Amino acid sequence: MRRFTLILTMTAGLLLAAGCAGWLDVKPYDKIAQDELLSSEEGYMKLLNGVYVELNRDMLYGAALSVEMIEVMGGAYTIGTDNSVWGNYRDLSEYEYGTQYWRARLNETWDKAYSLILNCNLLLENIDADRALFSDDNYRMIKGEALAMRAMLHFDMLRLFGPVFSRNPQQVSIPYYKAYTVVPNSALPASEVAGLITDDLLEARILLANDPVRTEGVRMEQPADGSSNFLHYRNLRLNWYAVSALLARSSLYFGDKESAAKYSMEVIKSVDEGIFSFVDKSLVTGSPDDPDRIFSSEVIFALSHSQRNSLFRNYYDPSRIPNYVFRMDNDLMGNIVFGGGALTGGNQDDYRYRVNWMATGANRYFYKYSDMVDTGNIRNTMIPMIRLGEMYLIAAESVSDDIAAGAPFVNILRSNRGVNNISELTREILQYEYIRELYGEGQLFYMYKRMYSPVMFSSVASMNPEPSDKIFVVPLPDSETEN
Amino acid sequence: MKKIFAVLFLLSAVCLCAAGQQKTVVLKGRVIDSSDGYPLIGVSVIVAGTDGGTFTDVDGNYELEVPSSGCDVSFTYVGYEEVVKRYTSKNASSFSRIVMFMDATELEDVIVTGVYERKKESFTGASATFKTDQLKAVGSNNVLQSLKTLDPSFKMMESTQFGSNPNMMPDVEIRGKTSVMGLKEEYGTDPNQPLFILDGFETTLETIMNLNMNRVASVTILKDAASTAIYGSKASNGVVVIETKAPARGRLQLSYKGDFGLSLADLTDYNLMNAREKLEFETLAGVYKDNSSDPFAQIRLDNLRNERLKEIERGVDTYWLSEPVRTGFTHKHNIYAEGGEDKIRYGIGLSYGDVDGVMKGSDRQTLEGNVDLIYRTGKFQFSNKLSIDWLETSNPVVSFADYAYANPYYRKSDARYLYYPEEGIDDYPVANPLWNAGLNNWDKANGFGFTNNFIFEWFMAESLRMRAKFGLTKSGDTEQMRLSPLHTSFDDVGETEKGLYSHTRIDQIAYEGDVSLTFGKVLADKHQLNAVGGFNFSASNQQVYGYSANGFTDDQFDAPSFANGYPADDKPDYSESMKRAASFYINGGYVYDDRYLADFNYRLDGASMFGTGNRFRNTWSVGAGWNIHREHFLRDNEFLTFLKLRGSVGNPGNQNFSAYQAFSTYKFNGWMTNIFGTGVILNALGNAGLAWQETVNYDVGADITFWGERVNITLDYYWKDTDPLLAIITTPGSMGVTSVAMNAGSQKTQGWEATFRISPVYIPSERINWNISFNATSAKSRYDGIGNSFSALNESGKTSLVGTTRYYDGGSPTAIWAVRSAGIDPATGRELFIRKDGTYSFTYDVNDEVVVGDTQPKVEGIFGTTLYFKGFSAGCHFRYRWGGQVFNTSLFQKVENIGTEDVYNNQDKRALYDRWSESNREAYFKGISMVQKTEKSSRFVMDDNALIGESFNLGYEFPDRLIRKMRISALNLQLTMTDAFRATSVRVERGIDYPFARTVTLAVGVTF
Repeated sequence: MRRFTLILTMTAGLLLAAGCAGWLDVKPYDKIAQDELLSSEEGYMKLLNGVYVELNRDMLYGAALSVEMIEVMGGAYTIGTDNSVWGNYRDLSEYEYGTQYWRARLNETWDKAYSLILNCNLLLENIDADRALFSDDNYRMIKGEALAMRAMLHFDMLRLFGPVFSRNPQQVSIPYYKAYTVVPNSALPASEVAGLITDDLLEARILLANDPVRTEGVRMEQPADGSSNFLHYRNLRLNWYAVSALLARSSLYFGDKESAAKYSMEVIKSVDEGIFSFVDKSLVTGSPDDPDRIFSSEVIFALSHSQRNSLFRNYYDPSRIPNYVFRMDNDLMGNIVFGGGALTGGNQDDYRYRVNWMATGANRYFYKYSDMVDTGNIRNTMIPMIRLGEMYLIAAESVSDDIAAGAPFVNILRSNRGVNNISELTREILQYEYIRELYGEGQLFYMYKRMYSPVMFSSVASMNPEPSDKIFVVPLPDSETEN
Repeated sequence: MKKIFAVLFLLSAVCLCAAGQQKTVVLKGRVIDSSDGYPLIGVSVIVAGTDGGTFTDVDGNYELEVPSSGCDVSFTYVGYEEVVKRYTSKNASSFSRIVMFMDATELEDVIVTGVYERKKESFTGASATFKTDQLKAVGSNNVLQSLKTLDPSFKMMESTQFGSNPNMMPDVEIRGKTSVMGLKEEYGTDPNQPLFILDGFETTLETIMNLNMNRVASVTILKDAASTAIYGSKASNGVVVIETKAPARGRLQLSYKGDFGLSLADLTDYNLMNAREKLEFETLAGVYKDNSSDPFAQIRLDNLRNERLKEIERGVDTYWLSEPVRTGFTHKHNIYAEGGEDKIRYGIGLSYGDVDGVMKGSDRQTLEGNVDLIYRTGKFQFSNKLSIDWLETSNPVVSFADYAYANPYYRKSDARYLYYPEEGIDDYPVANPLWNAGLNNWDKANGFGFTNNFIFEWFMAESLRMRAKFGLTKSGDTEQMRLSPLHTSFDDVGETEKGLYSHTRIDQIAYEGDVSLTFGKVLADKHQLNAVGGFNFSASNQQVYGYSANGFTDDQFDAPSFANGYPADDKPDYSESMKRAASFYINGGYVYDDRYLADFNYRLDGASMFGTGNRFRNTWSVGAGWNIHREHFLRDNEFLTFLKLRGSVGNPGNQNFSAYQAFSTYKFNGWMTNIFGTGVILNALGNAGLAWQETVNYDVGADITFWGERVNITLDYYWKDTDPLLAIITTPGSMGVTSVAMNAGSQKTQGWEATFRISPVYIPSERINWNISFNATSAKSRYDGIGNSFSALNESGKTSLVGTTRYYDGGSPTAIWAVRSAGIDPATGRELFIRKDGTYSFTYDVNDEVVVGDTQPKVEGIFGTTLYFKGFSAGCHFRYRWGGQVFNTSLFQKVENIGTEDVYNNQDKRALYDRWSESNREAYFKGISMVQKTEKSSRFVMDDNALIGESFNLGYEFPDRLIRKMRISALNLQLTMTDAFRATSVRVERGIDYPFARTVTLAVGVTF
């Protein structure tokens, strides 16, 4: 009997040890377990694409960081009088970040950006071990894009919540998450964050060295053989040029003009190679009813938002109640941005004016995000994140310590906008050029913050808020400081 | 082996006899158990004074050769009283049936752990066992309700929110909490809930709540590590083991048990204003004072006040609280037919219960059928318990709170609104709760389930038994809710979106299997060995599916097919969770000479909820005991009949956690797709390094019985260290998730329990017995090593309206944190605060918070008495608690802090009186104001001492001579009243959404 007991016990023990480990490995049905998702190349592609899709959320580039919150902070819009519509925007234009509404909104933006960083980190954490899963160069492509994504999101959080870099580079800013962790990282000095952003972008750039965009262009069409779009529509992904462009943008922000010049010129060079090209004059002036308003051939990286038209309808469309939509201050537009002649470089012949600013009544409204007639066109989904024009402006500013030396770059851009050259480049004219080129793309606030100059709400200098930390440094959100 | 010996014995006996030429006869017979008539296997049958003897075989039969001249024959069996019978040459036939009785003390005192049974005398664990009569004597609502009156360590949390709603499951705990609050909200399962074992199988709280009490045979509460460790990682919250009755052998016997109850709402905790008081309060609060400069506005308000005053003068003073309540009638029936012979026994039962809650529209009906079968052949026994149940519930749609808010100066009416502002007046309408309640709304659920538990036992030898069991439970519940389109909550909703129907379906399936070997033997009369070893596996799967529809146009026609569509942006709910666990366990017990006891348990658990790195966990416990009354120096002592000292230590764990917390999960972001196809993002961040929560549990105790068993005392002292705690911790936004499951710090608890049962009058022969019982318990907990892990909870607690719980090292989980108050300054009417450093200040600073009380009473328990006189019995039990505090939310929210919107709701009377004013400077409360915010301070912390009349009962058992003529073999009646009164030192509104009830039940038991 004893022996029998022993045998039974041992059998039970063995069963437990051997069989159970597998039996206890339960995978959920209503959710996707990580090791199921990341068991194939396709799973990694889905996760990466999931992050691209989420960038279109309203609290990120679907509104707040492209056309709405950040542009209000950048002085792009004239603030109306009706409190029920404009009350919160007035607070923001006065840089009252402490109101309940804006605290909640900023919190949302912060949490979402970092949740996408976490998604990138989960991908990056696993991809090296799973390298065997990938065909062709896809491992390097996916990893490169994920690194660039992580860097881009951190960079925008630093630009929003960090110090004015040119003045306080050592100030503690934001945490930089390089890995998935359940222990919170603490905030780092801005200069350290800058180093980490640059490192990630440089690594991404090496990984993306064989990006087909460098040889075959952006390929804005499906593959002829009907295979996956993964290596097509490169301007809707963080391609090699997008990484270079981000390096140019971030180097300038971090005060490294040499690198800024180097990387911006690298992108500019692609025009000669036919990768990106200035918008065809005929597309703008030749088809007045259906112009390519975002100059899509110049876009280095854009999001693809299936309801992009809602940006126009929600924020700019004058056929809503005109007083309730965003538009530029009339004097600013008339006297400076698209007027004022040689002093400002403003000119109503400018394509950017002719295509994107349409009159309704006494005012002009912004049509950049209005759909082209050809519905279903991929161009109608694009929210530009970084574009060729900005590279010329960066080059102009960084090619020499003397800003006047950058005039040729600005003039190349201007010649492709149907306006004459400027004779002398000043910081103000460069800023006007930024407004003309990047209006409604969420870059103006960062430009003023970088240059530490007054935010141009109006053509009347005294109306524009003087630079200060109160304006430019957004306090860290509640979810960060209270937990 | 035994048999060979027996044969040898017999042979030698025969040889001896032959040698002595003595005349012998062979006695034949069968030995059976007195309790169930079962044959006893392996009983030793010996001719007294000789070595000649034998053992009974598997059918309990024996044959013994004895001298025909006569001798004494002795029958002995472990755990049974020895039978010695004189054989004379004439009484051979009386040896054909020998009935053996279990040792009298042991019959009562067997600890059933669900895995093994052990005599109380040889068990080192802390536990308590209650028989059905004891449970029924203190109440007949449900098993748990009675248990809380009988054992101080078992607690059912009173829900201030949900009162006596028969459809709400209570929070239950044994010896306090081991897990951090907040997990229940996150996971839906209560991490402090004990493990429930029904007939050897794990089951749910709801099953136990639904179980008809008349089916229960016994309930055992296992409290310490020695008794619970056999359940390993599920056991740290204690275990409740419930055994249902097994069919008794004999001719077909039919019994009927019925319970008939009345429930009355207990509204005495409400202290609301009457019409005149309310109007005066509103006037003082400035409701009828216009702040704009519009002269017409003030005229309108004056008129409004005058209208209301006129109504009051006409005698309008509506007591809204009585509107939704009723006298609830409860009736439960249980019919059970049982019978059978040696081989087959059967029991068939049918139970029905209908509980009408004290709120109109609140109802719970249960119907349950069960079939119990036991088949025994030779060394094998098969038993099967099948039960099938049906449940139907409904809940009132309008919360009790809506009636409590209604102002008494409104007339009771069928109108849609109690008050509706005139056109152009910017004022909120007041909905009539009676209108909403009168609509065709419903909130109901039904469920169907079955449980089949099969047990196979193989009596391999006298000392060895194998048991295999398999249980399967399947249930499906459907919850449906409907709000009529005419409900006032849809006033601002478009015509095509009014009304709401929602449907939720919950399907669950669970199975559990177990194989074990049980060994028990006494060696050389002094060494008693017990051992159990086995393997257990279990799995459960739950699916929840739900959807909503809206756009109804008609009140009466309520079929979901009349819906117009689905609510905008709504999608079907679906969730699934699968849990699996497998374990290996072993338990051993050793008793030397009935005096020294030792127990050990070991269990290896694996569960799918934990990460691959931590999938398996070891649970162990050791226990020791000393039966002092068995010592030689006390053996002849008549006074002290039982004195056992015991102690145990072990580390049971807790796995009441979510199914997929160990690894990260992802979901499709289907709200948008792009040219690259679909995308996937993180759904929940897992923590693969998550460690099991375990509680190292120490217990020392004593069980004492003396004065001819008239005094029983049980004492226990315990300390527990839950380390690590498993908690959901809110994280900085930059971590990418708002919360993560983590191990953080530990919680240390120490406490004691004492139970006294004294029978000053104890005359069993006359059936006269008077018992007095008293029990008490006390516990203290503190956090350790949690650092700043819960700083987020602390911060949100500080800013929340009434949160007074904080998580700091050294702090108690039940402490009340607030700023100390020196009262209301008579001169200014402002509250004077005492800062952390002891100085006084008018300014409130949340950082001056200190511990100002503790909700855990210093001591609490039950005392009571029971008198049995012939067939009569009478008993009463009182709950007491002393030394705790409570933050009086009624005072805080319904006296002060009445905001601009709350002022339109009816309020506590105290909001009007004892308020500071120029003429009443020595007031306890601030002046009446709509805008002044009152902060949480010690002014609202009050001593919470209470005496509650928890159970009163009267019983009568009809004597045989009266009922025999009616062919009834037993008939008894019992009247029980629960929660008859409460005397408390603090007045707090209880039963916010559903009132509390007092219940009177008449229980009838008939056996034919």
